Amino acid sequence: MVQTATLVDNEPLLSPALLSQLERMELISRKIFRGRMKGERRSKRKGQSVEFADFRNYVAGDDLRFIDWNLYARLDKLLLKLFLEEEDLHFYSLIDVSDSMQFGSPTKLQYAKQLAAALGYIGLCRSDRVKIEALDGATTSNAPVFRGKRSMPRMCEYVQNIPASANVTLTEAVKSFCLRNRGKGILVLISDLMDKSGYEQALKFLVAQNMDVYVIHVLSQEEIDPEILGDLKLVDCEDGDIAEISVSQRLIDKYRATVATFIEQSRDFCSKRGIVYTMTSTERSVDRLVSRYLRHQGLVR
Amino acid sequence: MNWSWIDSALPAWQWVLLGLVPPIIFLLYFLKLRRTPVEVPSTYLWTKTLEDLHVNSLWQRLRNNLLMYLQLLLALLLLLSCLRPGCKGDALMGERFIFLIDQSASMSAVDTPESISRLEVAKNEASKLIDQMKSGDSGMVITFSDSSRTVQSYTTNHTALKDKVRSIEQTERGSDMMEALTAASGLANPGRTSDRESNRDVQVAEGKPARMFIFTDGAIREIPDFFLGNLTPEYRPVGAVEPPNNVGIVAMSISDPLENESQLQCYARLFNSDDEDHEVTVTLKVDGTVMDSQNETVPRNNAMGLVFDLNELLQKLDEPKRVELEIETPDVYAQDNKAWAVVNPPREANVLILSDNNEYLDFVTETKRISKLANIFNELPEYINDERYEEQTTLGFFDLVIFDRCRPEKMPLCNTVFWGSIPPSEEWKVGEMTEPTALVDTNSSHPLMTAVQMGNVNVLKSSVVEGPRGSVSLLDGASGSIMRVGGRGGFQDLVVGFPMLQINEELDINVNTDWMTKLSFPLFIQNVVVELGNGKNFAAAIGGSPGEILNFRTSLPFDSVDVTSPEGRKTRLAPRPDNTFALTGTNRSGIYSVQSPDQENPDLLLPINLFDRNESNLTVREKLMLGYEEVTGEVKREETRKQYWMWFLVAALVVLIVEWVIYNRRVLI
Repeated sequence: MVQTATLVDNEPLLSPALLSQLERMELISRKIFRGRMKGERRSKRKGQSVEFADFRNYVAGDDLRFIDWNLYARLDKLLLKLFLEEEDLHFYSLIDVSDSMQFGSPTKLQYAKQLAAALGYIGLCRSDRVKIEALDGATTSNAPVFRGKRSMPRMCEYVQNIPASANVTLTEAVKSFCLRNRGKGILVLISDLMDKSGYEQALKFLVAQNMDVYVIHVLSQEEIDPEILGDLKLVDCEDGDIAEISVSQRLIDKYRATVATFIEQSRDFCSKRGIVYTMTSTERSVDRLVSRYLRHQGLVR
Repeated sequence: MNWSWIDSALPAWQWVLLGLVPPIIFLLYFLKLRRTPVEVPSTYLWTKTLEDLHVNSLWQRLRNNLLMYLQLLLALLLLLSCLRPGCKGDALMGERFIFLIDQSASMSAVDTPESISRLEVAKNEASKLIDQMKSGDSGMVITFSDSSRTVQSYTTNHTALKDKVRSIEQTERGSDMMEALTAASGLANPGRTSDRESNRDVQVAEGKPARMFIFTDGAIREIPDFFLGNLTPEYRPVGAVEPPNNVGIVAMSISDPLENESQLQCYARLFNSDDEDHEVTVTLKVDGTVMDSQNETVPRNNAMGLVFDLNELLQKLDEPKRVELEIETPDVYAQDNKAWAVVNPPREANVLILSDNNEYLDFVTETKRISKLANIFNELPEYINDERYEEQTTLGFFDLVIFDRCRPEKMPLCNTVFWGSIPPSEEWKVGEMTEPTALVDTNSSHPLMTAVQMGNVNVLKSSVVEGPRGSVSLLDGASGSIMRVGGRGGFQDLVVGFPMLQINEELDINVNTDWMTKLSFPLFIQNVVVELGNGKNFAAAIGGSPGEILNFRTSLPFDSVDVTSPEGRKTRLAPRPDNTFALTGTNRSGIYSVQSPDQENPDLLLPINLFDRNESNLTVREKLMLGYEEVTGEVKREETRKQYWMWFLVAALVVLIVEWVIYNRRVLI
């Protein structure tokens, strides 16, 4: 039976064991994005770091500090030594906070928060720019930007306090996010994708952002394999929509097939648009998801 | 073998109602169910699932609704079981059936092969016959003992018939089938017996032939004059065919010590209806203590007498004693193994004689025998106006008042003798004195005239006496009755139309008859004192058989009395205007004790016994004579109708269980 679980979970979002595991990981971007600040990543841009990149001819105005004097002695040419620039990475986590996320045990929302916090912590460890945002359709974002390992407690507190229940469609919320954040980077959308108006439009928006988009599709066990009996009137917790069913084996089988189709369609849709799609159940623990599945998917290393 | 599948227990309209059940079940399956609301994250996926299922939903449901099929099957099985399918050996033919069931005492005998009483067997057999009746056949149940009762008049409701048969109870009464036959015949042959008073034989309604089943052991009185008409009788004898082992008490009485030289004895008569001699132990108990016991061998098919000496009782006889006689040897019929009698303490009658100068009367009442029987009070006629007379006659102190040539203004509340005077009642008429008188006839069968010979008596003047309806003439003169006795409520009045003496104006005494000088005179006076003065001392005179209405009078006039039946049930009785009581509901044999709420000891004990040799003779009669028609008994046990509907019910139950399991598992739907 589906039950609404309490939103506030007294457990810390990230356990010490998980933290130590996460510290060794790194977020990977398939594209190299320009950051705003100096980070720990090599950038496409040449800049100031210890890693050599190339030489080029000196033109007037160049910084004399970067001239390779040894080459000038040998070749009598002024050549400029170029180094790879190390930049920070923009990492966004979008958490679906619609009512439907409050189901499952633990609730999908709690699971999403935990996941977002874990990925965020990986980013913090690598001095990435981490921003975790709730998809509540707000036009002005009040989500803080975290950077550096020391921000971990702040981030956890912030994530923990993200309120639930925002009856906005996924598309609207994503659109609002995209309008506010034009930057590039890695974007992880954690949602159950159960939006009657469809999730496709929302994903298209994200694709258009030219970001490295990951979709983590969270479903509770009750949704994947419902254990209900009898003649029931199912009430949608978001819009109060009613579906009357008489549970039978046939219906259950049919439902399972529908769920499988739903997942398959999402996966297809994502892969066609270069989005990395991962489906997970709330039964699967976050550390397992991060250390195995997401590593396999290439989100972390 | 006859198959009678359609044996509907229900009328047509109920069938129509039942027939509506399957369509209703069918319809209900397509109406909205009352569903339990459950909140889910999203109906998104469910709606998608249902969209597929809704295609061809009616036929989809039909194909997969196992629960509905099971419920339809259940309803069908229930309907089938209501049809009461079954088969049996014989189907009863005919349209109307009358079941005459004997519930008399002998039907309580336990001598049947099933070891249940004959009545139970009769009831079972009747029930089986009712089962064989077709729907629409009507039946009627009449029970009879010494009276009959229509337990159930004609009905087509077989269940009611069986219920009524089941409710028939054993009685302890004798049997008389005439009344039951009349009741049965009245319906089969209407119009013939509808009005006995009228000579006209009006056909009230068309007679409808009926089959009449008589369940009895045949221990019934002869039915000499009966015409069966449209009735087809079938006699089903109940009980063992061989004479069963039974010895019963068929008579018991207590002797009067006055007539038997101060000896108190108990006489009993035992009857053996078996074809073998039986030795039995008979015990006599007085107030529960064993007084005497005798071992006797009662010859087969014969009766024998027994005498028990009760002289010991005479020593301390200060209150009524209960005498119980019991055959201790067990047999198949228990009711006749016990008999009861009562020994009352001697009570002298109080007799008031109002007479003037009648030496003969004075003389005759002074005899030893009469003074033993009664306290005689002699007073002058003027005593009528005394206050004490008023009090004594109203309160019932006197048992008998003899008015010799005098009359009171109103009748006293006791028995009376008017000798040469007219009772102050319009019912009595005494004519003019005529002479001479010729004595034509004496009613010697009346207890008052027992051993009274009037052949040698001469009477000079006499007047003709006319009494109330039901009065009896004791002595007839040439022109009519000159001595009559008649009832007045619970009392009796004797009017003698000729005085013993006549006193003329000169106060000369003339003798009108020479009866006083004859031997018959003291005998007559003794009879009067014994019969009218209630002077029978040890009389257990009042008593009767079960079911009889007992009229009795208490020693003093009470406002109410409590009667305790042998099984201990108390009934309060109110007196009738003449201070007598009528006891009904004497269904059980035994001793009924009568006691006023103010008394410590019973005032009166009334023994109720069924001394019926007919009932004690347990031999089952092979033939019944109904009028001139002889009906031979057919000893056969009815085959019970083989009912199959129970199996349908069991199947319905199984279906119900399967349905329950499926509903709870919801796997196979």
